[in-house]
Amino acid sequence: MNRKYANEEVDVVIVGAGAAGGVLAKELSESGMSVVVLDAGPMWDPQHDFASDELSMQRLGWEETRLVDGRDPLTMGHNNSGRGIGGGTTHFTGVFLRFHDADFRARTLDGVADDWPIGYDDLAPYYDKIEKEIAVSGPKHFPWGNFHGPYLYPERDPLSPNAYVFQKGCEALGIRHVVAPLAILSAPFEDRPPCINRGFCNQGCMPNAKFSTLIVHIPKAMRAGAEVLPNCMVTQVMTDKHGRASGVTFVHEGKEYVQKARLVILSAYVVETPRLLLNSANGRYPSGLANSSGWVGRGFMTHSSHDVYAKFAEEVRLYKGTPVLATTQDFYETMPDAGFVRGYTLHAHGARPLAFVKGIANSQTGLLWGEKLRQTALDYNFYGRVTMVGEVLPHPDNRITLADEKDDLGLPRAKVTFSFGENDRRLIDHAVVKMGQILEAAGGKVEFVVPDTAHLMGGCRMGANPDESVVNSYGQTHDIPNLFICDASIFVTSGAGNPTNTVMALAARTADYIRKQAAQLFSLSEKPIHV
Amino acid sequence: MSKTTHYPSYDVMSHAEHWDDHTQHIVTSRLIREKSYSFLTTVEAEILRAWCSKLVGDMRGEIIQYVLCHIDQTLSDGRGEGQRKPDVAPAPELIRKGLKAIDATCQSLHAKHFFELEDYMQQGLMKDISEGSAEPASIWASVPQQDLFKKLLNYTLEAYYSHPTVWSEIGYAGPAYPRGYIRARAGQWDAWEARLENES
Repeated sequence: MNRKYANEEVDVVIVGAGAAGGVLAKELSESGMSVVVLDAGPMWDPQHDFASDELSMQRLGWEETRLVDGRDPLTMGHNNSGRGIGGGTTHFTGVFLRFHDADFRARTLDGVADDWPIGYDDLAPYYDKIEKEIAVSGPKHFPWGNFHGPYLYPERDPLSPNAYVFQKGCEALGIRHVVAPLAILSAPFEDRPPCINRGFCNQGCMPNAKFSTLIVHIPKAMRAGAEVLPNCMVTQVMTDKHGRASGVTFVHEGKEYVQKARLVILSAYVVETPRLLLNSANGRYPSGLANSSGWVGRGFMTHSSHDVYAKFAEEVRLYKGTPVLATTQDFYETMPDAGFVRGYTLHAHGARPLAFVKGIANSQTGLLWGEKLRQTALDYNFYGRVTMVGEVLPHPDNRITLADEKDDLGLPRAKVTFSFGENDRRLIDHAVVKMGQILEAAGGKVEFVVPDTAHLMGGCRMGANPDESVVNSYGQTHDIPNLFICDASIFVTSGAGNPTNTVMALAARTADYIRKQAAQLFSLSEKPIHV
Repeated sequence: MSKTTHYPSYDVMSHAEHWDDHTQHIVTSRLIREKSYSFLTTVEAEILRAWCSKLVGDMRGEIIQYVLCHIDQTLSDGRGEGQRKPDVAPAPELIRKGLKAIDATCQSLHAKHFFELEDYMQQGLMKDISEGSAEPASIWASVPQQDLFKKLLNYTLEAYYSHPTVWSEIGYAGPAYPRGYIRARAGQWDAWEARLENES
């Protein structure tokens, strides 16, 4: 392997080149630090590795097996985690929402979960920065939350047939709706073209109209001197005799290497970050790194993401256009008398044939296969779909742990244990009814409700109290001051909207902090740490 | 009579020249029958041929052959499964044991292979397995039936609905790069999209 920093101690090593790792790599290398980024997957070339094809692009997801347990075992891989440089941003829909003030104050407002140690205002400047940096397109006025627009780039036009169906249904019911804010260009930006409504956002954008850290932040980081190493699976965070992080070990093509660093940042996402911390247990930290609270891996969340399909007399053609182009957040915050707290976002959501067929084959009414499935699928073009992004409350028993089974590198696999709570179920039921009403108001007849989930958050939550959290609000671990965690695992609650914008805003805030504290962080005395 | 397709004369492959080379290569390769298997034995492949046909309600040889090749490749190339329940064996083992159990069941009840049974018998056994109620227990004790059924259904559907012939039938316009979609409102179609033909 041709290395720039082999055998050197760099300022920062970042594990994972996804939404957060990409931002950190760019910000820190541009500020003059020596940075190495390690990612388990390949360096993708969108024009040659991506294809307009669902089946072959499943490999953009993290396919490595995780063991799933609990009352509601999760579907992993493409559903939530990415693999390769760019991570999940290579295959997300590009929906780019901000959290609301209420998302940071669940305990105060609703007596559930916990408050974040920061509020919306702490993140606002970083949302601004990130959205500007990637030219988010969106409406002139966004009716909900704290930020009302306008977005930097105009909203997308034309929309998709399914988005127009959604708008029609919302109009009939008096539900407010907007064109979704998207990390997808509506006009040229830098050297990238606007979207051509190809529709394969989840399969990797070939024209580069959709933002990903693969095509935006990582190239900028590399130009600023960062060394980005694909196909390198980090196996352990090393600590020195004083208990501080001293670097990482990683495996590339079967051979083990060491990267020494003054600062270690884990941006490996909600499953792999705790897995790595737990797999890095040593004599000094027998229950894993940064785990004196016992909270590493605990309280992780997903979003409920049920889909509702309705059949129409006229063709809709779900395959056309960016999957999500129309959205409502009218049900985002706690509704009096709804029988549950918190809320959800609804999106018009397109589907190519595999997503459609796999969905309806596994709907709430049972398995659908054989002649009946084939007959239904022949009417693929007549279906419209709405999907939800529902807040799921954290529970300490929903957790990432190490399984007995080992992977090909000999590391214990991650075990992902998840069960919905009562509030989560009521919220889903409410949303499913609402989605059906929208589709029927547009002229459709509901035929399938497909249980699903999307996104992962939490598992290394931030907090002011080191006994009940893993990191402070900057992602700095309470236990080891030169070990940072920066990805969705530091979320305290899941919010009710797509989380990528928040992941990236948090990363920009952490980068700012590290930059400002650099002198202190890098000159940490050689005193032992008391944990 | 059950319906066939709304778009009988549509052929998505007639637009292949407009797709990028990489996508063209991937989709075109699905039309070529492969001859040898890396994982499946002959008997396993023949059980699956009957099984997968029934799963998708389609007996056409060339499409089902692609499904078998996809399953064979998935089971042999060492990729992960994304997720697996702790009490379920890894996919290659689950399917090998599952096919063995299917064969043993058919042998014990009818002294035949699954693919030699009458349609209704195949259908009945598949329904039982999909509901986790296939017997005898001596054969099925170590195979989680519903996990087996869902795994095979998933592999089969992802291959079947990636076959361009099936895309054409459901009126899916397929790959859309370098061109994209412009005409998006109700009743608008871009030039290469399928048009309804057989509405009465």
